[in-house]
Amino acid sequence: MTKRRMFLRMITASLLRRRSRMLIALLSIGIGATILAGLVTIYVDVPRQMGAQFRSYGANMLILPDGDSALTPDSLQTALAAIPADELVGAASYRYVRLDMTSRQQSFTAAGTDFEQITKTSPYFSVEGSYPSATREVLVGKEIADTIGVKTGSTMTLTWQPAQGAAEKSPEESRTPGAVLSGSAEGFGGGLVYVAAQLDSETRIASLTVDASTQTPEYGGLLAEDEAFLAQFTGKTLPLTLGEGIDAFSGATVTSAAVVDALNRAVSAGEQAQVKTVNFLVAGILTTGGEEEGYLFISLEDMAIMTGSDALDVAELSVSAGAEQLQAYADSISEQGGVQARLVKRVTRSEAAVLTKLQSLVFLVTAVVLLLTMICVSTTMMAVVSERRREIGLRKALGASDGSIRAEFLGEGLFLGALGGVLGAVLGFVFAQVVSVNVFGSSITFQPLLLPIAVIVSMAVSAVSCLMPIKRAVAIDPALVLKGE
Amino acid sequence: MSLLELRNVSKIYGELKALDNVSIHVDQGEWVAIMGPSGSGKSTMMNIIGCMDKPTSGQVLLDGVDIARESSKRLTDIRRDKIGLIFQQFHMVSYLTAVENVMVSQYYHSMPDEKEALEALERVGLRERARHLPSQLSGGEQQRVCVARALINHPELILADEPTGNLDEANENIVLDLFAQLHREGTTLIVVTHDPEVADAAQRTIVLEHGKLLKEVVNEHFGE
Ligand SMILES: Nc1ncnc2c1ncn2[C@@H]1O[C@H](COP(=O)(O)OP(=O)(O)OP(=O)(O)O)[C@@H](O)[C@H]1O
Ligand SMILES: [Mg+2]
Repeated sequence: MTKRRMFLRMITASLLRRRSRMLIALLSIGIGATILAGLVTIYVDVPRQMGAQFRSYGANMLILPDGDSALTPDSLQTALAAIPADELVGAASYRYVRLDMTSRQQSFTAAGTDFEQITKTSPYFSVEGSYPSATREVLVGKEIADTIGVKTGSTMTLTWQPAQGAAEKSPEESRTPGAVLSGSAEGFGGGLVYVAAQLDSETRIASLTVDASTQTPEYGGLLAEDEAFLAQFTGKTLPLTLGEGIDAFSGATVTSAAVVDALNRAVSAGEQAQVKTVNFLVAGILTTGGEEEGYLFISLEDMAIMTGSDALDVAELSVSAGAEQLQAYADSISEQGGVQARLVKRVTRSEAAVLTKLQSLVFLVTAVVLLLTMICVSTTMMAVVSERRREIGLRKALGASDGSIRAEFLGEGLFLGALGGVLGAVLGFVFAQVVSVNVFGSSITFQPLLLPIAVIVSMAVSAVSCLMPIKRAVAIDPALVLKGE
Repeated sequence: MSLLELRNVSKIYGELKALDNVSIHVDQGEWVAIMGPSGSGKSTMMNIIGCMDKPTSGQVLLDGVDIARESSKRLTDIRRDKIGLIFQQFHMVSYLTAVENVMVSQYYHSMPDEKEALEALERVGLRERARHLPSQLSGGEQQRVCVARALINHPELILADEPTGNLDEANENIVLDLFAQLHREGTTLIVVTHDPEVADAAQRTIVLEHGKLLKEVVNEHFGE
């Protein structure tokens, strides 16, 4: 048998046959390693975890029109292509206008937006009732709701007045490819019928939306939902005449005429953006704790119908990426031209600050745990040494040099460290997983590198912890074995 | 030929003279007993001869080398190479089996050799108890393992401090028989004892009192 095998045999025998003692040492190393491995996992994972977490605090990038060119759904789509789909949490576009509530002689800022995206970019929005899910529904800011006393289920009549000058569009402009024409005409019983037509590249009608809610529901009212009726308009060039290529909706000739009339007026009036009044159903009341409570929110479709344009003012993006990556995305979007992208500095900076603080906290706790583990292991090994005084004396009496005594204790320490490290890596992962699920609400993947790191660190820790006990062991006098102790 | 010679050796603890100007010599192959009342300095002398302690003054010549002047590292080497120790309290490594305990001695000396260790246990009549832990052995059996451990490296000198102090008659005889065998093989034996019967087995008895050499008695009946 070689010396090395005997060495290993003695060490393993010491650990295995003196189980209860060694279990305590192993436990202290194991627990230390567990907490360390757990904290390291969290430390490494924190940016990712928090990145997702931060996204619930709102958008961190804005896309704005650049100079003269307007921000449109198309140019926004082009800009969004620069951001990987899995990092783009949400992109909510907004169009802000003033809408009047003539019944109260008040006007409010209304935002046209995409409610589905809002739930992603601004998850902290709290809605009593629900988000608008159909056209002609409005989400009312809490502040407004309190002032005018509306509730979920109430109706609000809102009017859009084109700004002076903006109304003076020439007929040519209303003929620009891709424009949205909108207008209204009196239908059955004097109620207004609203239309909005999207023009294609050759200024033909590409699609048509009709609002006939003022008409008799069983007759004219059905027309707005009738695909066959609406499809007749596709591909036609304005102006039109009822009966020439366009058949009246059965039982609703007056309403059908009003649709044609409204379209003709829209184009002939030179898209003289018209005053439009629409009845909205209050779908919900919005509470945010911020300035949003002073706004009305309607869908982008309603906004386009009311204002006759699908232009956007701003898009708020929520992107799950670090500050630097975010800046890179913003730069590449701005470089493409047409639009400009900006970071919401307040959000990105505070994210970076929180991350740094959190990481230094975890780092500090790790250092403290490391120290505590060392003290604990050192104390245990100290107890082990005094418990084994006679054995150490005997070994020295049998001819063990100080070096052999050192090697044996260090060997036991390292062995315990390795065992504790493996234990710690496994339990630490479980610990990190539990923390992650409970605190961040998401799971983490096992880092294979964690195992060797945990083993090496806990071996180093237990080696350092063994220094004092080993010094004690070496100092033991072999003569004590001859005394009757 | 003299293996060991103490010249005017004193060991002083403060006021107390544990050994007071003692001079003795032990020949190669000789079997010597050391007797004396409790506190007379027997263990102190064994510690010095066993290279585990140094005298306050005097010379201790082992194989012509004055071990009183050696560094503790050298003393460890000398102890490992030349001396086998047997104690009153059997002193085994509690978590190692009998054969492993014997191998520990080989391990520090040169190379662990399980076969040789088993042969040594065979010699003390414990071949079949080789895989037992100390807690599974009787006191007498443990002391026999200690004898096997002391002789495994073929030391020139075996020092035994009260080797039979905790043994019954039967085990005492087994150990004495082993000593007689070792003596016949030429090993030098120094045995501390309170027991006149054990002393009688030796060739010569050195008697200490209050740290001084009281007398030396040659056993005329030796070998009978
Ligand atoms: N380290 C020490 N410090 C102080 N005094 C000591 C020390 N070691 C031994 N002595 C004293 O030296 C004297 C001799 O001790 P020693 O152990 O040699 O006696 P002994 O003859 O072996 O006795 P016993 O038969 O009881 O074993 C005793 O009085 C003892 O108290
Ligand atoms: Mg004694």
